[in-house]
Amino acid sequence: MTSTRKINLSMSECDNREMRLGTITSWDGSASELTKASDYEERSAEKQQKCCGKRGRACQLCELNMPFSQETTCAHAMVSCQIGNITDCILVEHSPIGCSAQQHGLNISMNIGLARRHKQPQTISILSTNLLEKDMVFGASDKLRQTIRDAYYRYSPKAVFISMACSTAIIGEDIDSIAYELQDELGIEVIPLHCEGFRSKHWSTGFDISQHGILRSIVEKNPKKKQKDLINIVQLWGTDYFSDILKPLGLRVNYLVDMASYDELKQASEAVATTTFCHTLGSYMATALEEHFGVPQINAPQPYGIAATDEWLRTIAKVVGKEKIVEEYIESEHKRIQPELDELREKLKGLYGFVMTGSAYAHGLTSVLKELGIGVDGSIVFHHDPVYDSGQENQNTLKFLVDTYGDIPYFTVSKTQPFQLPAILKRSKADFVIIRHGGLATIAAKLGIPSLAMGDESIPIGYDGILRTGRIILNIIARKRFDRILARHTELGYTDWWLSQSDPFILARHPELLDENEESKGDPLNG
Amino acid sequence: MADTTIKRTNTITHPRYGCAIGAAFSVAAIPGAVPIANCGPGCIGKQAGIITTASQGTAYPGAGNIPSVNWGENEVVFGGAKKLDDLIKSTLKIMKGDLFVVLTGCSGELVGDDVEAVVKKYRNQGYSIVSAGTAGFKGNNLFGHENVSIAIIDQFVGEYKGRKQKKLVNLWFETPYFNSFWRGDYEEIKRILEGAGFEVNILFGSLSKGSESWKKIPKAGFNLLISPWVGLKTVKHLEVKYKQPYLHIPVIPIGEEATSAFLRQVVEFAGIDKTKSEKFIEEESKQYYNYIEHFASFFSQYWFGLPAKFAIVGDSTYNTAFTKFLTDQLGLVPLKAVITDNPPEKYRDKIRDVYHHLTEDDEVSLEPEFVEDGYWIEKILEETDFGSEIGVIFGSSWEKQIAADKNLKLIETSTPSANEVVLNRSYVGYKGALTLIEKVYTVAMGNR
Repeated sequence: MTSTRKINLSMSECDNREMRLGTITSWDGSASELTKASDYEERSAEKQQKCCGKRGRACQLCELNMPFSQETTCAHAMVSCQIGNITDCILVEHSPIGCSAQQHGLNISMNIGLARRHKQPQTISILSTNLLEKDMVFGASDKLRQTIRDAYYRYSPKAVFISMACSTAIIGEDIDSIAYELQDELGIEVIPLHCEGFRSKHWSTGFDISQHGILRSIVEKNPKKKQKDLINIVQLWGTDYFSDILKPLGLRVNYLVDMASYDELKQASEAVATTTFCHTLGSYMATALEEHFGVPQINAPQPYGIAATDEWLRTIAKVVGKEKIVEEYIESEHKRIQPELDELREKLKGLYGFVMTGSAYAHGLTSVLKELGIGVDGSIVFHHDPVYDSGQENQNTLKFLVDTYGDIPYFTVSKTQPFQLPAILKRSKADFVIIRHGGLATIAAKLGIPSLAMGDESIPIGYDGILRTGRIILNIIARKRFDRILARHTELGYTDWWLSQSDPFILARHPELLDENEESKGDPLNG
Repeated sequence: MADTTIKRTNTITHPRYGCAIGAAFSVAAIPGAVPIANCGPGCIGKQAGIITTASQGTAYPGAGNIPSVNWGENEVVFGGAKKLDDLIKSTLKIMKGDLFVVLTGCSGELVGDDVEAVVKKYRNQGYSIVSAGTAGFKGNNLFGHENVSIAIIDQFVGEYKGRKQKKLVNLWFETPYFNSFWRGDYEEIKRILEGAGFEVNILFGSLSKGSESWKKIPKAGFNLLISPWVGLKTVKHLEVKYKQPYLHIPVIPIGEEATSAFLRQVVEFAGIDKTKSEKFIEEESKQYYNYIEHFASFFSQYWFGLPAKFAIVGDSTYNTAFTKFLTDQLGLVPLKAVITDNPPEKYRDKIRDVYHHLTEDDEVSLEPEFVEDGYWIEKILEETDFGSEIGVIFGSSWEKQIAADKNLKLIETSTPSANEVVLNRSYVGYKGALTLIEKVYTVAMGNR
């Protein structure tokens, strides 16, 4: 049977983002060019099985193929940071211990997150099957069975998830069969997640895989009641500002997935609508909830900056029948923030900011900077989805950014590649950068540019988010004094040849450069 | 029903170590050396998550800059040699360095790429480039650290037939980054060995001259290994390769008595003149006991209670040294010692022996436990009675919850540590001992 649905929940595996959305990870140009090349509307039509008529390469966004790459992160790590943070389920990582090595960092973010959501602290417990060489030779199924039983008997979880890693995928571990088997034995859901690190070109597929497992096995398929005042928000670990923002519309927030409990995930199908702080993270979940569980998603830009927040609130109000009060609410909010906003704009006048974060979130953050009167002439997003799973017109975040706040001349798609930063920042007037991922801020710092580590992704949300962001930037700017010293006394470390390049993608355009300077081969210290 | 179904198994939660590819950070710790990670996109970042804790940070080429093949589906199906080749070629062009070390992880080793053939091509062109097998299923990051050290020795340092310098000593010591206090500790050990008249060849950290120091290894009179077991494989390898003797000091010296004894042992082993070392020891001792004398007037008459009993959880390196110092030199009472770095079976009896003879009077003996699964480590601590005075856990941040539950003080001295910012702090030798005393007794403050 051919389904017209965009998301297929019948298989235990979830299609990679590059297959579903045409995701790219390497591109350079202006934001308006990328908007045009993305062709959101055509792609959206295609997703609904109404092909745009173009075929083959015409449907693809051209990528820059670089021979050089630096460490990034993977889908498996994203599953750890999503599923591992569910409060009453256990994640079993079926792999050597190295795949679980970042657990303690996740414990920190989970506990800060629990405090932000007014929940009890708890120590994260992700279990590793701790595989060794003999397991690679003889198979590791018994170890997996044992670790799932350990999870069950030690912690009495509501469900157990299994995550596949590179090594276990290569040796062909059958986690689906073992999940079925142990589910029968233990009487709880045992959910396989096919998230091996080599699987997808971008780690964000790991968000989708996590959500896929939750949607298939935890979300209530036949909700007996609707909770008319409950709205799902797909979020990470950020502070709960959404409750205050949505209270005037009579809504309570159900946060998915981090720090949620089994029951909070289960009730997602009882909610009146789904929205998110970032379509990169939330689109798969929201679209599946809409298609398979009848929970509508909010067809609006993300709530960053005044215009988008207005739009977002109006759309929610419409879905929940609060159109009458929303205009008054919006107007009073505008009035409330205006004096401090004016003050901040005055103080921040003339500054330039540079965002380098996940894709859709970067679009939102940039709107907030623009709202504060801060110049933005460049940005890095770690991938780009030309369309989101919903295909909804008003969710085209990049187009909204360009249409509302103007073009960004240097808009780079690149997956946490610090080596490109010297060239990228050279063409920008940035006074500060905003980051969430490791490795990039230290390069900026060595160039004398301070960084705002936006660890709490909720900071820029809504009307108050603009003010919160502005206040923080004033503090960040003061840190340029530290970076000035750092820049004076430390080196970037890259070769002089590389640092003299002005095109961060030169090796993709001219791979033959790698074969030049043959005479230098006896002198590898070619800086 | 639960009790019979909950048992010690192969499972690990709350890990205390990473996998072999974590040795990329040992390479990054060598000035001028650049690791090239032949592994998946997430492997290196994950290892950074456990190896570089206590906010110590890393510097170029660490800190997210490590070149990586970032294995994808294509490499799993068709092999990763081509992409590795491209990566090496471009790394040599982009990354400043004079020693390049390719570390191959699980995927590359399972798929069976001929990595050596790719690397050899560049070595033949004159580049200093080394290849090491570091699949995560082969062992933990300590295993990887030794594998990488030996690979550099065999493939880069090479043969040497010349003379050896009696006073030149190669220092094999804490695993870089994995021991959060390594930078300060290396500095202190170098300082005291130099004070005693040695020239110290440092191989990791900013005190090392990088590849130059590695090239100098065969010229040293001997190898000094200060570690319970990590490094033994390396120094034994050097013994065969360069006919270079080694002195194995299994317990890091902390405090004047242990440190002075250590220096005398090294001087004796090397057969160098004692005049300089004895003068140095005398001067250091004078300073040390001046501090101790002042401290004693607080220690012996503080009204409001001092730390009394302790448990220690961590890798064998700090675990042995701390337990000995705290017990023998400060008179704290050890309750539990949990060793978390999975030392190979053949080394365990010698490690146990340290705990059997903790004090000069030989009155304190303790049976250490070798446990890597946090679930059981927490159970052990839960069942330990710390008495009514101030109890202390020396451990990692995984022990934070149990310490809070039992109203104990947690001093984070092992990996992973989330609640410390460590720059040059050291807990070893003469000076580090004083810092450790400060740290231990500061927890009593505010307890009144």
